[in-house]
Amino acid sequence: MTSLSAHQLSFAYDDREIFHRLDFTVPMGEFSLLTGPSGSGKSSLLKLLAGLFPQYGGRVTSGQVSLNGQNAAEIVPFQRATKVAMLFQHPARQFAMRTVNQQIDFALANLQLSAAEIYRRRQWVLGKLALQQFAHRLVTTLSGGEQQRVALACVLAMDSEIILLDEPFANVDINGRKNLLQILKRLQETGKTIFLADHDPTGYCGIASRLFRVDADAKTVRTVPLENLPTEEENLTPVRLSDELLGGRLRWHDLTYGVGERQLVHNSSFTLPAGKIGLLSGKNGAGKSTLFNVLSRQHHFTGQLSFDSVLAQKVPLRKWALKVGQVFQNSTDQFISMTVKQELAISRKHSRQPDYWTPRRIDQCLADLNLSRVVDHVCYRLSGGQQKKLQLLSMLIMAQPVLLLDEPFAGLDLQSIQRVLQLLKMVKKDLQTSILIISHQRYGIVAALDYELRLTGQRLILQGRDSDE
Amino acid sequence: MNRTKRRGLNPTILFVIMLGIGLPLSFSRSVILNAIIMLFTVLYLCWERVRLRTALLVLLIAFPLAFGSWASFMFFGTGDRLHAAWIYGTRVYAYLLLAMILTMTHSVQEILLSLHHHLHLSNTFVYGLLGSFNMMKNLRDQYRRIKYSAMLRDAPYHFWQAHFYLRLIITALNWSNDLAIAMTSQGFTEGAERTELSVDPLPAWQWGLAGLLIVLYCGAAFLWRPW
Repeated sequence: MTSLSAHQLSFAYDDREIFHRLDFTVPMGEFSLLTGPSGSGKSSLLKLLAGLFPQYGGRVTSGQVSLNGQNAAEIVPFQRATKVAMLFQHPARQFAMRTVNQQIDFALANLQLSAAEIYRRRQWVLGKLALQQFAHRLVTTLSGGEQQRVALACVLAMDSEIILLDEPFANVDINGRKNLLQILKRLQETGKTIFLADHDPTGYCGIASRLFRVDADAKTVRTVPLENLPTEEENLTPVRLSDELLGGRLRWHDLTYGVGERQLVHNSSFTLPAGKIGLLSGKNGAGKSTLFNVLSRQHHFTGQLSFDSVLAQKVPLRKWALKVGQVFQNSTDQFISMTVKQELAISRKHSRQPDYWTPRRIDQCLADLNLSRVVDHVCYRLSGGQQKKLQLLSMLIMAQPVLLLDEPFAGLDLQSIQRVLQLLKMVKKDLQTSILIISHQRYGIVAALDYELRLTGQRLILQGRDSDE
Repeated sequence: MNRTKRRGLNPTILFVIMLGIGLPLSFSRSVILNAIIMLFTVLYLCWERVRLRTALLVLLIAFPLAFGSWASFMFFGTGDRLHAAWIYGTRVYAYLLLAMILTMTHSVQEILLSLHHHLHLSNTFVYGLLGSFNMMKNLRDQYRRIKYSAMLRDAPYHFWQAHFYLRLIITALNWSNDLAIAMTSQGFTEGAERTELSVDPLPAWQWGLAGLLIVLYCGAAFLWRPW
């Protein structure tokens, strides 16, 4: 029986310690879910367990990860892979080869199996994961979910006993997620060990058999009773619809869009109310982030999209970007210069509301967000939470009349979330900004919001009303 | 990964010819030899039935370079300006066509695997390069995203700004790290044996042909030295 565990493990990036004397054993034969906010160390733990860290990052300052009693980091990869393998957050970045067949062969050839055995295993795994029709397809032409299935096929073909998954659904649509979860559950029932990290604990009720949480303050991992796993309904503390949603400047009519062959939203019409903060909700992969990309004209759509009654097609993209602002899910995508100071200076120089965003106000905000100490630091070297706050502040200073925020609270502690919400409320009131937020997390947020727009069944529905406007 | 049997020379041989003639070509001062190389490589490309449109496009794109070399020696050169101008003008096309007999007849994967088989190119290099070629499409999407993020701040990037490239480089570094991690997780081990699944036949006479061509060229270029 394989065993995988951390003993007295301390791990750090530069001067920041992530785990301190951690003792943790992966429960064999179980489906374990590891939760915790972004940046808390979930991914680091998985990479440590897979023996990939410290080779590819960070420093182990005490203890070790043991795979069958041996230091996991010292086992050669082609031997380690037969025991423990990993699926990654960005499906497209885990393939060295062009086609599905080639990719599976690549993994098997690493194990130095005979050509006949490689062929046998490949055919077996293609059948098992229903990938036969993809065998000769280029992996770049597959959807995120299909790509993850191919990565899983490699892991299965290598016959790894423990499968670690790092946010495997981050780039996978709703059907792909359902399909993968079913496969993983079946694998666990036939003896594999599944250890999956996801910042969003919803949708695992009845699937996960163990639950863990990274405690970033104590730098350790805690066992959490399964009852704490949210059921889908429980998660939906409703947003109270504020009574007057007056007109707004961004409006869409008969809007339809999709990804690839799949339609995500069909004929939706809505006006984004000014001076209000809304929540855009919906299941994973329903098309929320894609709606943001449509509204910012980064994704193809049909129907009418207009700002101040001027159709989007008549406005150059450069001008549109100054009407509809977007805060990306991934903070580092937002930064356009090196240091915090430069980043804020660019925003201030080009702000749509230069009279409002005075240097004094900006300094005050920096202090509120606990960023004053790091103004001279390089953006890319900040912690996840600091990057998030900097990204938000720099877009708030730009002060586009419409602001779309994709998971702006990810990785923030409760205190920071409250500070950010206060800031958002101040801006919406003073500048009459239309703010729309995607956030899987509702706790501590819902009370500050004015309305909820739910994306379900290819429709956008204003909650608390009978139908979409 | 199995290569189907096809006409033409093995990629390794083409690579050896490309280097073996390309290097001395930099030192030879013969328009006639350049023209002969151009003629033979064009004939080879025709025989291999490469895509005409792509080939013409590549040749067309190179024209300003060839013309630039030709013109600068013609109008600003010293000594035998006519000769020098034609040497450098035709040299651009001789280089280009030598490279085209390799790159237009074989995929990157075929070339790298062939070099691995016959010239011991390391697996780390082969699969690392293959992975990065496969990421080109994603890099294009990222390029768009970076441009858009700058528009959001009313500070659009221009291609001459260093920041723009810095961000692309940071992205590319992150991705290559992600790929390296994933490959390790899939059991790829630097320096270790792997099962060789691809076969890449290379008959001995092709080595002989490459050697003969290189010797003939060097002999002609440095002993006979035609105009």
